[in-house]
Amino acid sequence: MSPPLAAVTAATVQGLVPEILLVAAAIAIYLIGAFTSFRSGWLLAFIGVAIPLWLATPEGGDSLTAFGRWMTLAAGMALVLVQGGDVRPASHRRLGTCEEAGTFLILLAGLSLVAVADNLVLLFVGLEMVSIPTYILLGLARTSSRGQEAALKYFFLSLLASAIFLYGMVCLYGIGGDVSLAVIGEKLQSGDVTTERMTLAMLPLAVGMLMVGAAFRMAAVPMHFYAPDVYEGTSTPLAGVLSTLPKLAGVVVLVRLIGLVAEANQPAALAYAGLFWQVAAVLAALTMTIGNLMALVQTNLRRLLACSSIAHAGYLLVGITAAAAGTGSMSEAVTAKVDGADATLYYLATYLLATSGVFAAITYLGHRWPIWTPTTPRPPREEVSTVSDLDGLASTNPVVAFALGVFLLSLAGIPPLPGFWGKLSLVTSLLEVDWGMPVTMAGRRAWLLALAVTLVINAAIAAAYYLRLIAAMYFRPAERGVQADGGLSAGLAMLGCLVVSVMATFSPRMLAFDDESSLSAEAPPAVASTSKADHD
Amino acid sequence: MSSLITLGLAGTLVLRFLSSDAIASGGFFASGEFDWFVTGPLDIQFSVGLDGLSIWLFGLTALLTVSAVFVGWNAAEEKAVGFYGLLLLLEAAMLGVFAARDIILFYVFFEFTLVPLFFLIGIWGRDDRRRAAVKFFIYTFAGSVLAFLGLLAIVLWHASHTGVLTFDIATLTAGLASHPLPMTPEWGYLQLWVFGALLVGFAIKVPIVPVHTWLPLVHEQTPACGSVDLAGFLLKIGLYGFLRFSLPMLPEATAIAAPWLVALGAISIIYGALVALVQKDLKRMVAYSSVSHMGFCVMGLFALEPVAVEGANLQLINYGLASAGLFATVGMIYERYHTRKIAELGGIASQMPWLAAFFMLFTFSTIGLPGLNCFVGEFMVLAGTFQRAWSGAPADWSTTYLTLALLAVAGVVLGAWYMLQAVERVLFGPLRGATAGEHGDHARDLAWNEVAALAPLGVFIVWIGIYPSPFLKASAAAVTASTQASSQAFASRVVASRAEATAEHGRSSAPDVDLTLHLGPSRIISTSNHLAP
Repeated sequence: MSPPLAAVTAATVQGLVPEILLVAAAIAIYLIGAFTSFRSGWLLAFIGVAIPLWLATPEGGDSLTAFGRWMTLAAGMALVLVQGGDVRPASHRRLGTCEEAGTFLILLAGLSLVAVADNLVLLFVGLEMVSIPTYILLGLARTSSRGQEAALKYFFLSLLASAIFLYGMVCLYGIGGDVSLAVIGEKLQSGDVTTERMTLAMLPLAVGMLMVGAAFRMAAVPMHFYAPDVYEGTSTPLAGVLSTLPKLAGVVVLVRLIGLVAEANQPAALAYAGLFWQVAAVLAALTMTIGNLMALVQTNLRRLLACSSIAHAGYLLVGITAAAAGTGSMSEAVTAKVDGADATLYYLATYLLATSGVFAAITYLGHRWPIWTPTTPRPPREEVSTVSDLDGLASTNPVVAFALGVFLLSLAGIPPLPGFWGKLSLVTSLLEVDWGMPVTMAGRRAWLLALAVTLVINAAIAAAYYLRLIAAMYFRPAERGVQADGGLSAGLAMLGCLVVSVMATFSPRMLAFDDESSLSAEAPPAVASTSKADHD
Repeated sequence: MSSLITLGLAGTLVLRFLSSDAIASGGFFASGEFDWFVTGPLDIQFSVGLDGLSIWLFGLTALLTVSAVFVGWNAAEEKAVGFYGLLLLLEAAMLGVFAARDIILFYVFFEFTLVPLFFLIGIWGRDDRRRAAVKFFIYTFAGSVLAFLGLLAIVLWHASHTGVLTFDIATLTAGLASHPLPMTPEWGYLQLWVFGALLVGFAIKVPIVPVHTWLPLVHEQTPACGSVDLAGFLLKIGLYGFLRFSLPMLPEATAIAAPWLVALGAISIIYGALVALVQKDLKRMVAYSSVSHMGFCVMGLFALEPVAVEGANLQLINYGLASAGLFATVGMIYERYHTRKIAELGGIASQMPWLAAFFMLFTFSTIGLPGLNCFVGEFMVLAGTFQRAWSGAPADWSTTYLTLALLAVAGVVLGAWYMLQAVERVLFGPLRGATAGEHGDHARDLAWNEVAALAPLGVFIVWIGIYPSPFLKASAAAVTASTQASSQAFASRVVASRAEATAEHGRSSAPDVDLTLHLGPSRIISTSNHLAP
């Protein structure tokens, strides 16, 4: 069904222009770093991301592809700036900067590939192209024992998750008999009896494993526990990368997998969508609640943000639930539907915006002023790492405090900031599933309603710890202040995120990818196969 | 300065409203709209307008912000720009709440009022301000996210039954009148759940006992002008929400819940008054008295008797003026003597006659002295509730209603007790404590900005007290329109419950007149049967 793997046509190359450009830029940066004394790797990386972003996205692919690429490049741009302003001492930075920048670009190319992938092989290759550069990035910061611990923890768990995900893919292959997602989708919806039997036997295994694999990328239950340790152990910019890009990959994969069945009218497809939303709903409720409750007691800034990122994975899973349940929706009454997948992607956009902003701001803050008198030896530099390090930031660094305040309130979902519009879309899409059907305990409406209530209660819990940060910045006196030595580019990234947030407040649809249906039944990307062309 | 301009504009709007024909029709006026969040099917409009329900609250907000600015004239030496900025932001959000015609826009403003107040409390509050700010935010946020679910459910129900996904409040109200949310068991009594969700959100804002605990703490920690805003108009959002959403959109659920809410209103009145009676801190006392007075509004609203609802609606304005005045004067006293302990104050009237005079005026207003504004509102609420008890309560609720109304009267008496007791100790008698000390020697009477803050309140207090009818007339049509559905639903419940009760009565009891006289409910029924045509 799918074109042979060897056929690399001009169309294929054309369709993969952004990815090819990213990898080419990465290679160029590696070479320059190895053979010249040029050390501004992040500057080159900036150009490397800017070119694909500036070029119009190539034709081909559905709107999920376009959205995934767009988000990858936009978030990548912000994160390049954040990492460019890394707070490590200049001497250390000179050694690794080109390697890091190049590796990061490969990560972006992999992420973009996940959005493009129309078959299982390409999808897996894309996911690994996200994972492996992440190990390297974590491992490059190997100077501290905590950094090593973080890198190892992430490495082993990520391998485990990849293996589990691969098993899930194998099951899908078993159901569909082909690696092409379009073919698997057709099989599921064909009503073919053999497929049906096969599907019903394999499905729990397949969906379960795929969900667990994606859960790791999203930092969702049951693969969430690594997040606080890893975030704490690594540097702030890298924590920013971890809390955004893998999550993007996980969400795109899940949306893509749900999109396999656009109309769940055959038993196999119905079972597939049904299992998907049930698993997603349970995981969503657990993830939100666990993430938020864990965050309440954190004092370390990065641990707190890790827990917050877990909680947001839960909100995103709510959208996934709505998308999967909506696929088999029995309600015809609502004329204009808010699609669960659209809502998820919109929420993801608001989340990426606010989270990149938060990490940019914290990176920018850099180190605290040391308590140091001429008679005592100079103490080691202390990074801004705990909540109390932010005390009185509003009086010492008002702009950063204001920006952080905006991002945190957006994450908390306070209207009219973008996060609120995201949550509004999520809840609307969830409530709309089967709207018009009676609520019974046997029906799924009751469960979805319960999930909606869980979401809003969680939003209230989350407000508590976001407010704690804001209270620290605005209501406490500054004791030592911060040096704000994180670098100009991190500050620029923060301001950029702030400007976009404010714009998205007044024109919220700016972040929405308004294409009618991102989950149309048409064949996913026309970019045919070949992973070979780009990842060599 | 800009708050004065806003006041001027709002005043013009109010005047134009009074001369427009919107009063008679109960419709909206001065409306404008543009698209906001139009992504695919969700077309949320930035759509604003005023009607009889919101016009006075809108004006009150503009007026009280000016007062708050004058009260806080010297309060914020540090970071004054931020302080006034936040006050104006709060004003903008409040004006938005009252003017919003789009349900999501309403929610956006509703929620956004928290942000400026959070910072006002947290930065310029007193010692325990961080806890107060966070508690205030979490408490009200938790309630309003549930209310948000309720509002969304309304929108979606409307969409699924009329095929139009709209967020326009007027359209929704009209649509729900023809397609009410279901109240049947197979639907899980959906309407009751939606009502409950809205109730949680609005009751916390009001606040109704038992979810009032954030209020005294917040008042205690807030600077005076924050308290003026909080008591003056922020607490009105809850009742405005009931009047705008619960009553017209969810009539059957309102009818079921109404007796319980009247009971909660009465409990708030008595509880607030009793707790106020034992307060040692002047400001905490006023805070609890506002719990008590908001109980009146709740009671009047859910008596679902036209007089009572109009009274409650007017009482919102009345108590807004009076409590804002009280909080402002208490703030001035604190500024001068650095204490608010009732035991440490005394004889202020001899040191500062003008301040004392204003304090007396606001006190008399809150205790409902005839000729001042609160008397009108309280009288209407009580009259309506008694009327409901005598002629229109469900069969087994008549005595309860009567008891509740009597409790409310007792609340008025208690209110007079604690207020006058405090006034007597603080304003009159010998100088003592702080007033006798060093602070007392330097105490000066009202400055120009303080007069400017208090005088307009006084003018309106007297005006509404003497000649309330223009105020009532302007909102009567809108209030009637929004309570009509609920009143009817309640009336039909009353009829049904009576028919049931009479049937039971006829079956079970012998024609023994003496016996029925001792049974409270039955007696009331027999009287009302005489009254009924």
